[in-house]
Amino acid sequence: MTAIATPPPLALPEPVQGDGFRHAYGAELQKLSVQLTTRLLVLVALVGPFAFAVLLKIQSGTPSDALFGAWVHSSGFAISLVILGFAGSWGFPIIAGVLAGDLFASEDRHGTWKTILTRSCTREDVFAGKVLAAGTFVIGIATVLAASSLLAGIVLVGATSLVNLSGVLTSPGRMFVLTVVSWLYCLLPVLAYTSLAILFSIATRNGILGVLGPLLVALATQLLDLIGKGVIVHTLLIGSAFDGWHGLLVAHPFFGPALVSAAVCVAWIGACLAISWQILRRRDFLSTTATRTPSWIAPIRVVAIATVVVAVLALCGNLGPTGVTATRLSAAIGPTFNNATLLQQALIGRHAPPGARLDVQPNCGRRAAAAVGPGDWNCTLYVYLPQSNAVPFQQTAVEYDVSVQYNGCYKAQSPPNFIGGPTMQDAAGKSVTNPLYIVYGCFNTL
Amino acid sequence: MEAVRARSLVKRFGATTAVDRLDLIVCPGEVRGLLGPNGAGKTTLLRMLFGLIRPDAGRVELFGQAVLALGTNAFHGVGGFVEEPCFYPYLSGRANLALLARLDGNTATPADIDDALARVELAARGDDRVGGYSTGMRQRLGIAAALLRRPRLLLLDEPTSGLDPGGTRAVAQLVSELAAQGVAVLLSSHQIGELEKVCTTYTVLRDGRVVWDGTTGELEAQAPPSAYALATNDDAGALEIAAQQPGVRTQRAPRGGLVLAAQRSELDALVLALGEARVIIRRLELLVSPLESMFFALTSEEILDQLAPQELTDKVLAGV
Repeated sequence: MTAIATPPPLALPEPVQGDGFRHAYGAELQKLSVQLTTRLLVLVALVGPFAFAVLLKIQSGTPSDALFGAWVHSSGFAISLVILGFAGSWGFPIIAGVLAGDLFASEDRHGTWKTILTRSCTREDVFAGKVLAAGTFVIGIATVLAASSLLAGIVLVGATSLVNLSGVLTSPGRMFVLTVVSWLYCLLPVLAYTSLAILFSIATRNGILGVLGPLLVALATQLLDLIGKGVIVHTLLIGSAFDGWHGLLVAHPFFGPALVSAAVCVAWIGACLAISWQILRRRDFLSTTATRTPSWIAPIRVVAIATVVVAVLALCGNLGPTGVTATRLSAAIGPTFNNATLLQQALIGRHAPPGARLDVQPNCGRRAAAAVGPGDWNCTLYVYLPQSNAVPFQQTAVEYDVSVQYNGCYKAQSPPNFIGGPTMQDAAGKSVTNPLYIVYGCFNTL
Repeated sequence: MEAVRARSLVKRFGATTAVDRLDLIVCPGEVRGLLGPNGAGKTTLLRMLFGLIRPDAGRVELFGQAVLALGTNAFHGVGGFVEEPCFYPYLSGRANLALLARLDGNTATPADIDDALARVELAARGDDRVGGYSTGMRQRLGIAAALLRRPRLLLLDEPTSGLDPGGTRAVAQLVSELAAQGVAVLLSSHQIGELEKVCTTYTVLRDGRVVWDGTTGELEAQAPPSAYALATNDDAGALEIAAQQPGVRTQRAPRGGLVLAAQRSELDALVLALGEARVIIRRLELLVSPLESMFFALTSEEILDQLAPQELTDKVLAGV
């Protein structure tokens, strides 16, 4: 550099007070949009559902452990809902972590806090801009995933009716609406995970922990879901909020868990962002070289705190009323079995009159444990008074092995000698999914 | 209105007081040099001026607006950087400037960005990712980022670090021209020689406190003796003449010639005396400037008036 020409005569900068947030938001959108990880996430969200649907189509197996998994060859909506289930467990925490977990920590890594905080944006502008940009991208990618999964299911499997979580065949139009609403509902817990990732990013100043933090929380949630019979701890976890949509997909929808989960998510979002802002507001931005050296003190402290929290939550797992009981399971599985039986009969051409039903008396219990809490159950369904013209069984006892989750959702499977194999032939001789082989259902645990 | 007004600033890090009841004023058109040994509090002060760290006590105002007050932004028209400028390595130099312009409220157009890159001779590398830039190139990009705001106040921390001699001269010229246009400049540097070329006022820090504050004229009047190298056609004669001059201390230099310590007026008298004695001066070189000797006197325990000229030169040059 041999000479630097002087700039033009001084002109006072345009006042931008009040617009700082908008400018910070725009800058953060620009930064996120050019990052490789963001583009990879968009690509995966766009292509992943199609790859999943194609893989399912070229093989006969089904992800039957997931809700609606047994129906992936029958209805495109099942594809989308199975993907939503996986996304709730792992996909959304990963998306939130990748997009938001490094958003603040990367400024420490690059030493750029001082660069952006000395421009015409205040700390609150920068914070709000980053938070909103992360939320925008997370919602955008979740929307892409939802649209792509619906499109993949509809194109590769078909927009056909789907058996809901009460064993009732639901029309394509209604299923489309319910699937879209389910995805929309999940945006709230996704934003809660995003807020958590932001908190990790700000508190630890470590991008790795910011990205992995939500995933580790999701893993801890999965572990906590396996233990404890009480509803309090489960209800307070972000991961549990992804179950809220289950109540929409039954014959008589229940909204209690969805509303409680929504409130829990709002509380998580508020708490995480409030703490994050307080940390950032009070922070001193010291030497660049010092911050470039990754400090593991904060991450170790956070991991230690997280471990203690998980241990305490595990010990508190039995707090509160028990969500999964024999009474609730029996009350849920009886009508679902009834509906599935009528559907099976209809498929083979035996149409029951409107309102017809079996008299099913379920008796659910556990072999080696008290008849409460999630886990493996056994239900015997006694069919006493079959209706005329729709008689699959007469005073028959049908045994189902039932895997019940903490959230009240279950998968019931019976040996083929009782109710037939996974597929059956319908009245037209076409191979279709046997609605009684695997029965999915959900009941309200609150 | 003052560009910078800092009053009674205090900043502690644990038991260490980095800045202790510090007052500072920088006015438009003024180029103030900020001097001090390592750990004197220069960078901490600049970080407080930029709002990057919060003072434990005191107040900072830029153009009358309090820094870090909620809901206000005191950084309109304030450019510069602390320590080395940092940018997003995955973006190009041009994209980095565009991003910063966006944060400023899009006050700079793409043409302004091109112009800023051209000014620091980065136009050809503007589309390269900053991750591939050298230290000097990042420094130049930092200057471009500061100029992009058309600043009324420049806060620069070691702006010539990593620059070649030509770049260093160009920065000095730029600072002088901006000051002539009314821009206030606060310049922190270890290179006292560079500060002397552009600064009109100085603030010297030691242990977080201001130990001297004044103009160039005041500095020259108050500074301890400067050191000079003198070579003549008759060094022995010159040594005798110098010994008779009040306030001048002289000795033979290890590599030939003489080294002397004197104030400017005493040196003038010596030069006249040598001329009258027909001693021809072949070389008269400033070894230690008034600012350097002042800086050394203020930031060390040495009493320069009691040092032999060569010892003064060696110690000051080692100390600064």
